[in-house]
Amino acid sequence: MRFTAVLLLVVTLCLASPGRANAIPADAPPTGMVCTPGAVSGATHTFDLVAETGYIDTPDGNSVFMWSYGEAGGHFQSPGPVLCVTQGQTVVVNLTNNLPEPASIVFPGQDAPVTASGGAAGLLTTEAAASGGTVQYSFVAGSPGTYLYESGSDIAKQIEMGLYGALIVRPAAGPALAYGTSTAFDPSREYLLLLSEIDSDLHHAVETGTAYDVNARRDRYFAVNGREFPDTIQDNGSGLLPNQPYGALVRIQPTTPTTAPALIRMINVGALNHPFHPHGNHTTQIAQDGRLLPVPTEHFGETIASGQTVDFLLRWDDQDNWDPTTKPLPVPPPNYRDVFFKDANTWYGGSPYLGHKGILPSGVVTQNICGEWYFPWHSHALNEFTNYDQGFGGMATLLRVDPPGGCFAAPATATPLGSVLKSGTVAGLAADDTTYYAVNPRTTTRPTATTTAQTSITVASATGFPAAPGYYARIDNEVVRVTAGAGTTTWTVQRGQLGTTAATHASGAVVTALATDFTAGFTGVPAGSQHLKVTYKGANCATTTAATCTALTTNLPQQTVKICDWTVGGAAGCSTATSAGWVTLPAPPAQPQGVGSTDVGATWTLPASAQYISAGQVKVLVHTERYTSPSPAAFSTWGNLLALTYDAP
Amino acid sequence: MRGHPWKGALVLVLVAAGLGAGSSSASAAPVAVSLCAVPGTATMAGGASVPIWGFAATCANPGLPGPVLTATVGDTVTVTVTNALPAGHDVTFEVPGIDFAAGPDSAPPGGTVTRTFTASAPGTYLYQSGGDAGRQVAMGLYGALIVRPATAGQAYPSADSAYDVEAPLVLSAIDPAFNAAPETFDLHSYRATYWLINGKSYPDTAPGITAAGGQRLLLRYLNAGYDNTTMSLLGMHARVVARDARPVDGDAEVAAETIPAGATEDVIATVPAGAGPSSHGFPLYNRQQHVTNGDQTGVSPAPASGGGMLIFIHH
Ligand SMILES: [Cu+2]
Repeated sequence: MRFTAVLLLVVTLCLASPGRANAIPADAPPTGMVCTPGAVSGATHTFDLVAETGYIDTPDGNSVFMWSYGEAGGHFQSPGPVLCVTQGQTVVVNLTNNLPEPASIVFPGQDAPVTASGGAAGLLTTEAAASGGTVQYSFVAGSPGTYLYESGSDIAKQIEMGLYGALIVRPAAGPALAYGTSTAFDPSREYLLLLSEIDSDLHHAVETGTAYDVNARRDRYFAVNGREFPDTIQDNGSGLLPNQPYGALVRIQPTTPTTAPALIRMINVGALNHPFHPHGNHTTQIAQDGRLLPVPTEHFGETIASGQTVDFLLRWDDQDNWDPTTKPLPVPPPNYRDVFFKDANTWYGGSPYLGHKGILPSGVVTQNICGEWYFPWHSHALNEFTNYDQGFGGMATLLRVDPPGGCFAAPATATPLGSVLKSGTVAGLAADDTTYYAVNPRTTTRPTATTTAQTSITVASATGFPAAPGYYARIDNEVVRVTAGAGTTTWTVQRGQLGTTAATHASGAVVTALATDFTAGFTGVPAGSQHLKVTYKGANCATTTAATCTALTTNLPQQTVKICDWTVGGAAGCSTATSAGWVTLPAPPAQPQGVGSTDVGATWTLPASAQYISAGQVKVLVHTERYTSPSPAAFSTWGNLLALTYDAP
Repeated sequence: MRGHPWKGALVLVLVAAGLGAGSSSASAAPVAVSLCAVPGTATMAGGASVPIWGFAATCANPGLPGPVLTATVGDTVTVTVTNALPAGHDVTFEVPGIDFAAGPDSAPPGGTVTRTFTASAPGTYLYQSGGDAGRQVAMGLYGALIVRPATAGQAYPSADSAYDVEAPLVLSAIDPAFNAAPETFDLHSYRATYWLINGKSYPDTAPGITAAGGQRLLLRYLNAGYDNTTMSLLGMHARVVARDARPVDGDAEVAAETIPAGATEDVIATVPAGAGPSSHGFPLYNRQQHVTNGDQTGVSPAPASGGGMLIFIHH
């Protein structure tokens, strides 16, 4: 999405900047609002800010000279730091002005007196002198809400040049409320969308000391959180944009009975009023200028006026509940215009089903990970939907709707491992339905008759039996344990195991493994995915031959589902059913589980995920064994559903 | 005539004889007012003199804006407008939101038109001349009409519209090049450089609006300009009580509020007892940064702005 030349320029600027490599903490989440910590001492919350110059990058390769507030001693950033405070705290902002003219800060919407010390009286507020002057502002944070702070000096130039930022006042009741109890939201889904515009000619004139006329402004760049689309959807702290740390991608999952809505805090620091609208969705406006509205209002598009703040709650309901199994087509598919973004460069997944990918229209290239949906969210003043008059770009971001619970993946491959395919294909594992992927234990034959005392036996083939000794096999109704010769056709065995009795067996007797194993491979799982969850549902049936599952309700086969840890031995570490790379999925639920002829389903969650993803692959093993007497009879294993869900990066 | 609580020459106040806040619906009577649309000049901040067309009580020295007209609900109001504009410019007297009795609405140069209405709904109304497809408004033919409810000290019948201090704020803009040639100017090149509150830009809006701490200040916005105007108020929120002379349900508290072109809006702020952020008080200004007085030809770091649509509220 960005070009090498831009990247090189970014690196150059980065090296030229003092302090940290980025303006936000390294552990900041990739999306969502990022607060600048400041320093808290008792009931006082202090921020040391500096007004300084720097550059931002635009998606068309331009570099624009900016003025901005930043953390003292920190990295240049645009817009200024997000100051998050708590209602009732005394907020102290120390401003050092490194600009060549007096500068200041006003705090619109703070109705308690803002006391200034140091500095000199200016028109709108007390100012810090040019080139190193300081001033201190302090005030008691008032009602909870979304506010801005900005220059109160020569505002037609200084605000345009970038002297602005967000001030968030959280209620004393806690960070999960925007205002009162009617405004509960999910703190992990708190988003800031700060709108601004840039007339690059004015910035050039300020940089070079040439004449300009603020009445002749013609804005060329239109930003959300200081970035223009498509940079807006890059992560917070993206190394591509070291001076523009704040991303603007909004991520949400469909509403469930326990879901709290996302909170969208919008601020317009620009001079123009911006009509901002999300495609395909309504948002609920709850507040303006840091004050709850008497009555919340639903909006498909809302004009955020210059200097205003507006807060929205956002829920996403899959109103048509498309589901390929339970509610298949025909249902009205989503309007392509709502989910396309740009021809041939789209995030459309090719399927009307959230969480599923489908067949793309001809000529369309997708960046869609797992059938998630992307809705444009942009200024509907379409001249602002551009980067220097070229569309699409500018004041736009995306609303990303992730599938419920995360991305869903069905296996791409299924392979018997130490067993034989009974029926079905990998497609049988894709959904919880009536199609199954069924395997039987591996079998071979004894070429010769067997005596009761014989401990060395030959088999027609060892293929599919374990390569390492210590496993069990059944001959007729006797269980033997292979202690040596595994992997060859001559086995050393212990007779009459697991409560059975050594017996004679005729030539040609069938030798059957007492376990079934199959693996399923997932592909296309992005590196960096989090919260891997494996879901397996299936049954074990009493015979290896019946076309339907015959009842098996006692002495249940024991099932263990494992995942490949690629760091143990790479692909070879998971090449056989007993290879060292297989890791039993951690409880809950505990394993092994007894699974009979009624489907049993379970989901295991992995606390850490990186070692289970290699080149997009995740591999799972389903191992089932039934060794114990009195019923060593062979069984078949029927897989119904094997699924992977994860939070894509 | 009600005493106006703001100090100084904030606005050219001329309440027509026979109209006034002292009247009530119980004593409603036919009342008459005369206006004259007449060329004149206005002095901009910085001293530039700009030709205008404005309304005045007599056909001389028009104000920018025209006189504040006040009536009380129930009054039958007759407005007689004389047209003293140059040849070719009919004056059409109109007040959006007011229904006039049937009859002619325009006066040719040298003529008069009389329009009558019953003041039926309290509120803030913008009067203007609709002539010349907007050019007459751009030249300055606009003003405020305030219709008061029966209860004194309130903007509307509802008790939550009670106030202690009021200030009509007529917002507008001037491009001197247009005013110099209103008949021939190409409106595609219109570019305002003066941004006015009651015909003045800062610092000529001084001494501003005086209100004590705790007083309820009624700001009556009237946007006579050509663009939607967002006004930012530092140090206090204001409660929106009406838009276009109609009370709103569920008053919102705002710090930056947009008044569409041609619209009116009434907000009430309780003035804090503490000091404002500025040594001048609490700034009320055009957040779209229309804070210039004339062309800006400066070179950074010289200030570009510090005038325009800015006024201070102070104790
Ligand atoms: Cu759109």
